[in-house]
Amino acid sequence: MATEKPKKDTGSQPKKADKAGGGGKGGSGKGGAGSSPEYAGDNIRLGAAGQSLFVKAAGLGAVGLAIAAALGAAANDGFRRFSLSYDVAFCWVLVLGLGALFWVTLQNLVNAHWSIVLRRVGEVLAAQAPVLALLALPVVVPIFMGSSSIYAWSNAEEVHNNHVLHHKAAYLNPTFFLIRFVVYFGFWTLLSRFFLKNSIAQDSSKDAQGLAAKMRAAAGPGMIAWGLTMTFCAFDLLMSLDKLWFSTMFGVYFLASCVLSINSFLPLAAMWLQKRGVLTKSVTVEHYHDLGKMMFAFTVFWAYIGFSQFMLLWYANIPEETDWFRHRFVGGWTGGWGLVSATLLFGHFVIPFFGLLSRHIKRRKPTLAFWAIWQLVMIYLDIYWIVMPYADAAGPPFGLIDVACLVGVLGVFIAGAAFRAKSLNLMPTNDPRLQKSLAFTNI
Amino acid sequence: MSDDHKPQAEPTAAELHGILAEYDTPDQLIAAATKVRQAGFEKWDTYSPFPVHGIDAAMGIKMTILPWITLGAGLTGLATAITMQWWMNSYDYPWLVSGKPLWSIPANVPIMFELTVLFSAITTLVGMLMLNGLPHPSHPLDLVKRFARVTDDKFFLMIQAADAKFDERDTRSLIDATSPVAVENVLEDRVTPDAMPAGLVYGLIVVTCAAVVPLALAVKARHSKSESPRVHLIQDMDSQPKYKAQRENPIFADGRADREALPGTVPVGHLNDDDHFYRGRTGDAWARTFPAQVEISEETMARGKQRFGIYCTPCHGQGGLGDGMVHKRAEALNQGGWIPPTNVTQEYLRNMPVGELFNSITNGVRNMPAYGPQIPPEDRWAIIMYVRALQKSQAATINDVPESERGSLK
Repeated sequence: MATEKPKKDTGSQPKKADKAGGGGKGGSGKGGAGSSPEYAGDNIRLGAAGQSLFVKAAGLGAVGLAIAAALGAAANDGFRRFSLSYDVAFCWVLVLGLGALFWVTLQNLVNAHWSIVLRRVGEVLAAQAPVLALLALPVVVPIFMGSSSIYAWSNAEEVHNNHVLHHKAAYLNPTFFLIRFVVYFGFWTLLSRFFLKNSIAQDSSKDAQGLAAKMRAAAGPGMIAWGLTMTFCAFDLLMSLDKLWFSTMFGVYFLASCVLSINSFLPLAAMWLQKRGVLTKSVTVEHYHDLGKMMFAFTVFWAYIGFSQFMLLWYANIPEETDWFRHRFVGGWTGGWGLVSATLLFGHFVIPFFGLLSRHIKRRKPTLAFWAIWQLVMIYLDIYWIVMPYADAAGPPFGLIDVACLVGVLGVFIAGAAFRAKSLNLMPTNDPRLQKSLAFTNI
Repeated sequence: MSDDHKPQAEPTAAELHGILAEYDTPDQLIAAATKVRQAGFEKWDTYSPFPVHGIDAAMGIKMTILPWITLGAGLTGLATAITMQWWMNSYDYPWLVSGKPLWSIPANVPIMFELTVLFSAITTLVGMLMLNGLPHPSHPLDLVKRFARVTDDKFFLMIQAADAKFDERDTRSLIDATSPVAVENVLEDRVTPDAMPAGLVYGLIVVTCAAVVPLALAVKARHSKSESPRVHLIQDMDSQPKYKAQRENPIFADGRADREALPGTVPVGHLNDDDHFYRGRTGDAWARTFPAQVEISEETMARGKQRFGIYCTPCHGQGGLGDGMVHKRAEALNQGGWIPPTNVTQEYLRNMPVGELFNSITNGVRNMPAYGPQIPPEDRWAIIMYVRALQKSQAATINDVPESERGSLK
């Protein structure tokens, strides 16, 4: 194929010119199917910037968590408000971590070429599964102890007095939840470690092709198991907040946020890295364009799934199902939770749909970054909308504790990723598909 | 490039369609295309077996306007779907479904989605064809033997003679400078007839006529009457030659499909000659006792409570106080004209003979419809027994409570 010539595209992007500079070498590598790493001497080590990010993020995380805990204790409500706020923040970061694991598994599964330059970044984010398990503890430990202030099913007395919970107790009980929790996070840890370990081994291996095949073989079963664990985790952490409500689409709804989240976060991470002089030549506008396309696709997918879930419940009009939405339409279009619902409809779908439609927007870093941040905020609002009506039925009780929880959880997550990333090559330099990823162009 | 030559002599130039150059690799093609573009030509094109990366930039092809056409078509589809559903469901033929508003946006969204996609997709396809000038039945290049390998492994570039900058000698030397494998003059097509092939014309006429037939049949069916039954292509159970309840039947003088019993006859098991049991009468007065067929027992009372719960509570409420859900809803709607259900425990009903209560249930009273056709007589008596119990519960004295239980009340 002729795709080895990176310098022949439109030439209107400064990124291209960069690439053409190093491309003199790349062009000569034609035909040698990637056995020798040729990434034009790009910087792939984060070094001191990683250490600095780790320190800053860890500090912010610790401060955030401390403030959140203090505010939670001051509220004097048995940590109920804190637990709900923390659940929102944790699920938002969980969506990102799970999305990263999905993304890495998917790239391996379909033998993707374009994404190789970004794969290691995804792998590092996915490998934060143990950190996520630690971060989950404030939400799940009270469940194990049978005294969660937000999950009624964890409380034996409540279950005894509630007919519906009594029926659901075979699944929703602290012991079985403990088993599931270990299975979820154990599996995610194993799968993400597997990918990161083999990917790193690839860098210095003579059999890079074999390791790629090994990862591809694991990706199929891994993807199935990921889908199941993700779905049931969404049921456990978010859907079971409501004693009565259930939706068989809830897992897919959660998936939409996972995939949108990672495809919004990766371009931001890549821009951050490039500002610090890492991957500046390898990650081009073409890769950003592709991530933007995935953002657009999963913006639509989120709306499609969200509306499918809503319409079936709306049409059937069965009290135990519509109740969940009734609580989220309190206040009509202009106030309370109804305003949040309207904000999600327009802010999470209609506006970004037209915002991300154009090719030019996806090919310009500032505009792409704008929509990436926008959608990450909307994902947070979406989870807030799922969880927070249990804190205040009248309307969103936005408060400092929400910000503190978010800063705390995100800080710890980023610190974990930075700690892992600072001593790694941030690109799988020996992957046989690297040349095609470097030379990748959209038509 | 140089344009200082005198214009071409007409007769020979008319025969020449353009100059074709052949290359071995896509890289050569891109290099050649870059040169031709820089020379300022406009009527020229490149041909390759597969889409060559970077050829758009080399040829200076502008971004297509197709996305804008697609966006417009998508929005048109969206507007069409909204208008169509509003017009059909809530304006032209209002049809209430499941108690939803006549025009319910959520129910319309799937069609809005489908039409948006349909309009976008079809317009994109048609727009792509039109912008590309397709279909293009014949082209002078079809007659060039060498050109056949463009579908296999060769790359071509042709500058048309119709280009303002075209000059046979200069253009040829420009093309030679791009080091092609071969250069050839392409002549205008004088072989292929200009007219469409007769077979194609007749075929199109036949297809067009055939396409009108179903439409014509539909129009005819709407404006004509027929004695024969409608054509039933699929012989399922949809069409059954029988008379359904409450339909018209021209065989009988009164035109009704349902028939009444013959005068002076009674269906088997429907004599109902026991006035006490079936009508609540003893002699000329309302019965004051339960008929012999009704057993005064715990079981009958339980049956009565259950039947009361099914038939009476919607209006009269669980305690018979006239505060059922139907009443509450009517109060909430506050539309006027609502006659509240009776409190069955009030005094005049406490004193009413059971036979008269039975008659009220059987034939209805004031706003209340007749329940005789729905509830068998023994169940009606059981309900009355339960109503009596409810009445007692609202007007009980300490003496009604068994002596042994009285202590727990104080």
